[in-house]
Amino acid sequence: MTEIRRTARYIWVSVVLCAALAGLVVRLVILHAAMPDAGRTRTVKNRTFCETLQVPRGRILDGSATANILAANIGVKDVWVDPAPLAASNRIAAVAGPLARALNLDAAELASRMNQTNRHFAYVARFVPQEKAAEVARLKLPSVHFSDSMARHYPQGAMLCHVMGFVNHDGVGSSGIEQCMEGYLKGTPGLRESRLDGRRREMYDRRVREIAPREGSDVVLTIDQNLQYMLEKALDAAMEQHQARAAMAILQRVKTGEILAMVNRPGFDPNRFREAKDPEKLNRAIGYVYEPGSTFKVAVIAAALDKGIVTPQTVFDCENGRWLYQNRILRDYHPYGRLEVADILKKSSNIGAAKIAILMGDTMLEESLRAFRIGSPLGIDLPGEEGGILRPVSKWTAISSSRIAIGQGVAVTALQMLGVMCGIANNGQIMRPYVVKEVVSASGTVLMRQSPHVVSRPIRPETAMLMRKLLSRVTEEGGTGVKARVEGFTVAGKTGTAQKVIAGRYSESEYMASFVGFLPSEAPEIGMIVVLDEPQPLHTGGLVAAPVFGEVAEQAVRYLGLLPAAGPEQTALYYASKATQP
Amino acid sequence: MARRNRKKNQAGFVFPVPLAAVLVVLAGFSLFYVCLKAKTEALGQEIKALEARSAQLRQDVIREQCEWASRLAPASMEQALKAHGLVMTWPGRDQIVRMKADGTIDGPLTPEMRPPVRYARVDRVVMND
Repeated sequence: MTEIRRTARYIWVSVVLCAALAGLVVRLVILHAAMPDAGRTRTVKNRTFCETLQVPRGRILDGSATANILAANIGVKDVWVDPAPLAASNRIAAVAGPLARALNLDAAELASRMNQTNRHFAYVARFVPQEKAAEVARLKLPSVHFSDSMARHYPQGAMLCHVMGFVNHDGVGSSGIEQCMEGYLKGTPGLRESRLDGRRREMYDRRVREIAPREGSDVVLTIDQNLQYMLEKALDAAMEQHQARAAMAILQRVKTGEILAMVNRPGFDPNRFREAKDPEKLNRAIGYVYEPGSTFKVAVIAAALDKGIVTPQTVFDCENGRWLYQNRILRDYHPYGRLEVADILKKSSNIGAAKIAILMGDTMLEESLRAFRIGSPLGIDLPGEEGGILRPVSKWTAISSSRIAIGQGVAVTALQMLGVMCGIANNGQIMRPYVVKEVVSASGTVLMRQSPHVVSRPIRPETAMLMRKLLSRVTEEGGTGVKARVEGFTVAGKTGTAQKVIAGRYSESEYMASFVGFLPSEAPEIGMIVVLDEPQPLHTGGLVAAPVFGEVAEQAVRYLGLLPAAGPEQTALYYASKATQP
Repeated sequence: MARRNRKKNQAGFVFPVPLAAVLVVLAGFSLFYVCLKAKTEALGQEIKALEARSAQLRQDVIREQCEWASRLAPASMEQALKAHGLVMTWPGRDQIVRMKADGTIDGPLTPEMRPPVRYARVDRVVMND
């Protein structure tokens, strides 16, 4: 009897176990084989997670040997709350207060943002530095969460702001290099697809897919931060001294077209681009057109010499400073009698330049100016470049050529005016200006490297050489650009003082003062333009812009290690003069 | 008739030895699987932690680079010099010596062009004259 009962017990246990196992098997079959598609999809979806692997945007580096960082992405935190449980438990004030204090926010405004019973997400603050986020985390506030994010950081602050541009809050380059090199800088985010366990933790052995991210490439500029600083500092001082409304300056390597420095004022801090007004964000050096005034005589006289219309010795009557032409009076700043072409340039005679242009004829003048790339952009690798304004000859009036010759009725950008001067310095070849030297991938591969490119040959090399000599006289005693001189070097250049057009008339009190030049004039290496908008009370290019040129050029030649191209006699003279100094 | 020895009689159900062996092997495999699974899990966690650490370190490097770049900025350098009372000016041309790779002096600093050497002079003080 006992044996039978024991056997029965075994059978019962076995049956129960088998039934339980069978139940589990049936359930497994249902889950894996017989489950409806919708349910299976939902299950898979619940257990799967896809993560975008963020990559930092590429850096922007300057062109000096030390490749200083001008822009880089740094890790930050976005702080957000889940408002629904806070509102339900009536703890909004208890959370909003400490949170606002920690993040320097307005507590009332934050509380109103959190007071949403039907929402589960609301930003408290974006792009919070990690140290600050750690402070907030230590408060252990309920329903406060953190997510990783990236923010663009410009360690040099406002320096070079117009060239670099800025990145908007979605991480997209919206201006300057950030915009035009977006394709290289942004990189490609990666993707990770994996499964989660019952506690919503990733099951590392169940990673379905992992696509490695490709980091953004580094963009190396031609701009040198030290030269940039020199130019910015000098321009800021000039702005303050002359109470100018705005200013712009460019330093360029003559033979290649590389931009070594580009400054615009007013400027802005790209770290706080939202606070900047639109005029502050404008890259005036390439995007603001102005009537150049006397600096434009360089293009006209160079063209006339190149076409053989005049020679440096050709004499013009400058009418003692007042000339009636086509019933309109043209005046000189200082009255002159007869002047040779060389002196017309040196003394910047309006009447002399106008007569040269008239002698050329409208068609030839227009063709020559277009060859100098007036009226069309030079093709710099920055967004927002303007091409200037040069109306077609069919729309010129009887006095147009006489006014264009003195830089009125024509508009250029500072970059174009520098292009004209550097073209003369570079044996008649205008180079395409560029600010991006190369693009280097995260692995060190050079993806793109810029090379010098000639965009135009407006004059012959012989004419360019002649013009260099004539322009050197502008900074000699008696010339208008004496203050642009650099000790030991011969500087070639031209001053400009252009009346601004206010309400359709030439203003008698508002001017654009400029100086554009290059050095050493015998074998030019660097060219520079300095333009100040509405300087007061001094307003002439020779007094306002030329000193800035001289100050920066003196530092730049030392920094770049340029030697005077003059013969040993001049150098010996220079040292003799130094030795006699106390 | 001999009496049946009840002590020698095998009482109840006898578990089949082959089945027991199969179950033991299965249990062994299960344990092995569980061990492997635990190890994989631990390795996965380690990988995840290292990934996070790597990302954090990369961020730290960039942050340090930015900080360094900020300190090396010409404006910061100028401020630092000012704070330490150091006055630095660009060297005069006669203070720069450029050496070529072959050891010769380049540029204007050839001997005849160098500024004349000026030695310090101490005027003789006549005493008890």
